[in-house]
Amino acid sequence: MMIKGNPVSEGIALGEAYLYVPFVPQVEQSEFPPEEASRYLEQYDRIRETARTELEDIRDCLTGAGDPDKARIFTAHIDILFDAAMDEDIRECIGEDCMMPDWAIHKVFEKYIRILSKAKDDLIRERVADLRDVKTRLLRIWAGVPEKNLAALEKPVVVVAHDLFPSDTATLDRSKVLALVTEVGGATSHSAIIARSYEIPALLGVSGAMENLSHGQSLIVDAVDGLLITDPDEDQKREYESRKKAFAAHMEQVRQYLSAQPRTADGVDIEVELNLGAASPQELEGSRYVDGVGLFRTEFIYMGREQLPTEEEQVEIYKKVLAQFGDRPVTLRTLDIGGDKKLDCMELPREENPFLGNRALRLCFHKPEVFRTQLRAALRASVCGNLWIMFPMVGSMDDIRRAKAFVKEAKAELDAEGVPYSPNVKLGIMIEIPSIALMADLAAQEVDFASIGTNDLCQYATAVDRMNPDVTQYYQPYHPAMFRLMGYVVEQFNKAGKPICVCGELGGDKLAPAVLIGLGMRRLSMGLASVARTKKLISGLTIPRAEELATQVRQMATAHEVEEYLTRELADLL
Amino acid sequence: MYSKKTTIQNSAGLHARPASDFIGLASKFKSKIVIRKVDDEEEANAKSIVMLLALGLAQGEEVEVYAKGEDEVEAVDALVALIDSKFGED
Repeated sequence: MMIKGNPVSEGIALGEAYLYVPFVPQVEQSEFPPEEASRYLEQYDRIRETARTELEDIRDCLTGAGDPDKARIFTAHIDILFDAAMDEDIRECIGEDCMMPDWAIHKVFEKYIRILSKAKDDLIRERVADLRDVKTRLLRIWAGVPEKNLAALEKPVVVVAHDLFPSDTATLDRSKVLALVTEVGGATSHSAIIARSYEIPALLGVSGAMENLSHGQSLIVDAVDGLLITDPDEDQKREYESRKKAFAAHMEQVRQYLSAQPRTADGVDIEVELNLGAASPQELEGSRYVDGVGLFRTEFIYMGREQLPTEEEQVEIYKKVLAQFGDRPVTLRTLDIGGDKKLDCMELPREENPFLGNRALRLCFHKPEVFRTQLRAALRASVCGNLWIMFPMVGSMDDIRRAKAFVKEAKAELDAEGVPYSPNVKLGIMIEIPSIALMADLAAQEVDFASIGTNDLCQYATAVDRMNPDVTQYYQPYHPAMFRLMGYVVEQFNKAGKPICVCGELGGDKLAPAVLIGLGMRRLSMGLASVARTKKLISGLTIPRAEELATQVRQMATAHEVEEYLTRELADLL
Repeated sequence: MYSKKTTIQNSAGLHARPASDFIGLASKFKSKIVIRKVDDEEEANAKSIVMLLALGLAQGEEVEVYAKGEDEVEAVDALVALIDSKFGED
């Protein structure tokens, strides 16, 4: 059987399943006669003392093992355990409302979990997991069940669980955990963060894992392609053993090139920049290895919420990112919503052809208040770093002029209010609609910079809906037309002396960066996962060799030919 | 009752370790202690880590610490001094 999952920590593992079932508290509403209140209050104190002893033991053990970061999680748990406001509420529930201690603990913790869930800071919201963890610990002690954790596994296993608490992941014995598979959890969950920091392959969001897998079952965890294979045959095992080795070798390379200066073999510097999608601490960690941010997607700020983000909220987030990169440019793309991306906080009408419809910049023109708020926030934050503002889905010179007028207006407002912003903010565009690509000579006069969004450019140039599975074969990023089109854009921007970058998938592609450099591109932006690989490719190239690739590719007839040619020509650099 | 105003100066704000240090110190006093955001009047029990985090105090925020009880003056002075020390950040 093959089950899909979300690969949040890359890697491949083969091993036996270990079904981990942590304590699941069962709580029912129950009360006692008032005269027993003091007895139950004493019991509550005892539960708390036991919990404190357990937590202190884990903390001291982690501190002793030289892992102060994880020890800190348990210090935080002790803080929660002795939270004065919660303690007061729980005592009141037991002492005055005669609620059984477990019921009181459950009710009060849930109340505070609700309060914390509303915090606007992601990091604070994620502390909810700590509250649940402490609550479960208290209820488990109340139920008289001994502590169970992943610290004492007998042999190396693939840990399968519904979900893991911070205390489970922090105490797990990394030498015995081959991989993690959980039914819930996303890329920013506790389990994902720990898995990445331990470099344990992890597949999350595998629905039905606990039901469908059994203890000791043979598994392959492919946390590269996001696949779980049960009861693999010998062929599959052999295949994955070799893929596992290849992956380990690849990771070794990654480590070597990640912090390298991206420079071609003949000494030309190429700027490698980062694409940011959530500005999470893990993403921002990548700032050490790059020359700036070529694409800061701002959609995440608007997602998963019922109200539009305020100007203040946005200022805070933008400042954080700008400050992280200091003098290096941060290219903030204004709201790019519509098409395949929907928002809870903004009602959008259904469209026949959403990718050709009212999306991105068009939608911002349509909802000027939303656009204005974002521009004001970006400008206000600009005092903290080197801000470049980029508009998505530009189709004409009119679009550019109109967007610039919005910025001018926002600046005038801030001037009138006496609010400072940087005078050096650059304004640029995404090149993803063929009509503006073909106007690159004039566009370059109108803007400070541009960046090619290859995913949408390919979709619009080849007239293929990326979301429609029936036409995927027609979506061809290596289409020679793509390289002809991009070649023209790069040439025009270079001629005008304006920075030009690629921030779509092709920028961090296995092969394409060589051609892009050959076309004259000197800036590439990509996800952190592609940075090391791309730097390796760059360091092996010379400009004449890249130019030869670019010339050849533009003369070819099909995407297939291009791919074959590049795979062959670049074999020594991959 | 005794109170004092100050501004959060450390860059991380009252999150994570600074928050833990803050409630750790507050819990040493007998008085009831409250920390309040000056601009929107939201407040939290200074001995509650959860409420303090929910309040989300960031750098630059003006706060008022007030306490009522036998050691109210010492409590407020000590907590304000802790905030002003930037929690040893710099």
